[in-house]
Amino acid sequence: MVQRKSDGFGRRRVLQGAAAIGAAQVAAPFIVPALGEAPVKIGFVDPLTGSLSIQAVSEVQGARYAVQEINKKGGIMGRELQLLVEDSANDVGTGVEKIRKLIDKDHVNITMGDVNSGIAYAISQVATQKGVLHIVPGGHTDPITGKACAWNVFRVCNTTMMDAGAVTGLLIKKYGKRWFMISPDYAYGHSLKQSFQHYLEAAGGTFENVYMPISASDYSATLIKARAYKPEVLINNMGGLAQIDLAKQFVQFGMNKQMGLGATLFELEAILAVPPEAQAGLASMEWWWNQPGVPHVKEFVAAIYGLYKKPASARHWMGYVAVHSAALAAEKAKSLDGIKLAHAMAGMELPPEVALQEKKVFYRAGDHELMPTIFAGEVHPPSKDSPYDVFSTLDKVDGEKVLPLAATGCHMKYPA
Amino acid sequence: MSATVIQAPGGDAPGGQLQARQRILTLVMVWAILLSAPLWLPLVGGYTSLGTRILVLGLAAMALNFLVGFTGMVSFGHAAYFGLGVYGCGLILRYVTASTPLGLLAGLVLGGVAGTVIGALIARRRGIYFAMVTIAFQEIFYFIAYKWNGLTGGFDGLRGFTRANLHLGFATLDIIKNDVVFYYFVLFIFALVVAVMGLILLSPFGRTLLAIRENERRARFLGINIERHIWLAFTLSSIFIAIAGGLYALLNNFADPSSLYTDLSGELVIMCVLGGIRVFWGPLLGAAVYVVLQDYISSHTVNWLFFVGGVFVIVVLFFPRGLLGMLRRRRDA
Repeated sequence: MVQRKSDGFGRRRVLQGAAAIGAAQVAAPFIVPALGEAPVKIGFVDPLTGSLSIQAVSEVQGARYAVQEINKKGGIMGRELQLLVEDSANDVGTGVEKIRKLIDKDHVNITMGDVNSGIAYAISQVATQKGVLHIVPGGHTDPITGKACAWNVFRVCNTTMMDAGAVTGLLIKKYGKRWFMISPDYAYGHSLKQSFQHYLEAAGGTFENVYMPISASDYSATLIKARAYKPEVLINNMGGLAQIDLAKQFVQFGMNKQMGLGATLFELEAILAVPPEAQAGLASMEWWWNQPGVPHVKEFVAAIYGLYKKPASARHWMGYVAVHSAALAAEKAKSLDGIKLAHAMAGMELPPEVALQEKKVFYRAGDHELMPTIFAGEVHPPSKDSPYDVFSTLDKVDGEKVLPLAATGCHMKYPA
Repeated sequence: MSATVIQAPGGDAPGGQLQARQRILTLVMVWAILLSAPLWLPLVGGYTSLGTRILVLGLAAMALNFLVGFTGMVSFGHAAYFGLGVYGCGLILRYVTASTPLGLLAGLVLGGVAGTVIGALIARRRGIYFAMVTIAFQEIFYFIAYKWNGLTGGFDGLRGFTRANLHLGFATLDIIKNDVVFYYFVLFIFALVVAVMGLILLSPFGRTLLAIRENERRARFLGINIERHIWLAFTLSSIFIAIAGGLYALLNNFADPSSLYTDLSGELVIMCVLGGIRVFWGPLLGAAVYVVLQDYISSHTVNWLFFVGGVFVIVVLFFPRGLLGMLRRRRDA
């Protein structure tokens, strides 16, 4: 009988080694890295998993590209810029925990997020308590820069009032004034429904609205109800994957032959995810990749495609603008202090290479909302020119005209 | 309180001095770790609010384990009472008065009353039927919180409140801005609840619960009113978990429907199983492992649930008594 060598490189030793390597991976956070010159840190919380993940991934990609650009030019005040990304999992509690982690553990200087309006609302509240500048790249619910505005909170994307105001005229003109709305049952959906209601009733229209859970996937009962109402247009207010599911089922029910389709945020990611028959209707777009003659847009689109093999969307633009805005404010304030950054950012105009729009784009001092041009137009299947040419601009609306400061309800107060 | 006394029959052999010493040593170790956490957590890459989260979820898991591990009744809907604790506390702070103790008390009352009423309704159910009914009641509370926008804030949750500083007469504890002070406040409440839980389990009532868990029929033949004991255990467990819910509202300064959703109930069960359901401190260890894994892995990959699930599967397959249960078994061997 062959005797085993007890000190050999046996199965037990291999298992022990594997366990040690595994433990080292888990223990990695406990090894505090040595620091050279402290980098400037931006903490970004976004729902990288869940029904809004498509939009969130694009936002983070845009932000990462901005970080690359800034670091190539020497960083912020000569210091390297780092982007720390955390997944909120489309859950408010997780989002709040993550923003705390970024501020308390990672000591980020500026925070950003979230696509989900409810989370954006909650985490900006934490940032306010901690005195940290917070930028909301893509959470649309109005109170963030409206009634609940705060000195440290700025927003890149539009409010629902702005997006609804930009497209309502076109919807009424093309389809009519009898609408059926399907809206997500959370802050964004409630704001959007109220905004559409405001403009539609002002024009003498009538509507019915149904709230659905934020991650709803089956709309059969609601679409039957919608058909019974006999609207001239169905407004798809859902977001992310829920919006895509609704658009698909709208076509499967054959309702695209009976009524028009409208939306405020039928974004590039969502349009590309639905079948050609559902690529239809009128929508507002917060930024569009095809802006002939506007400086720097082509370079941005090419860079995003080069990095991620994806067309540049409004979400890429939002993440990109958010990070550049923070950098510009820090350079202007020569400080990373929350209050100094906020003062520097209020009223700040974006340079053309960041704005990527033909007209002036700036953060309005009265509510900290970015004032851009809003694109309203028609969604259609891809043209022969490009597989991403799925939207034609019919109207460009000045953001400040659809949302005057007086209509926001914001009374901005800075700490003494 | 001597928590480690509570164990499976057979492990309760006439108390040798060695076992008593080991129990005291366990208690000293647990409390030394918890009391010193704010000092060593930052040194190992953690942060104070992570420690607070572990305490709160650990307390919730221990409260659930009071029912699952020590009474033998599996509830998959205990997030309902946790969430009611969250909303009870949040609603008082938001609409009535900025008082932290009153908020906690309101959470306790809301979760406790609901647990008492529902416990009375379901105490006669057993096994899968008991578990299903707990889920059903949880769903009811979830949809109330989700749909009652005007009061609860709906899906977006209840905001606009913060925990209030504690005025002791001779001093004021700054639990709003000072995370370390808040940690010790949570630890104080944790200690109180855990002490009560431990004393109950050491009492004749607690021993009766163990008897019911081990052999319900024999306990019934001994003349024990099984349904009343299960009802009381359910009520106490709901009260304990509602206190944890109140602390969770104070930790986050908001309340949202996910705090009474099925996912959280499942996570609490996972924490119990990870740490060991037959061991008093097991769920606390399970909560620590779960929260740290979630916190760390989710920063590196969006597929973090895959890894947490993997750890859970490994524990269930190879350490069926849970991490702490396995350690104690080796120690006792």
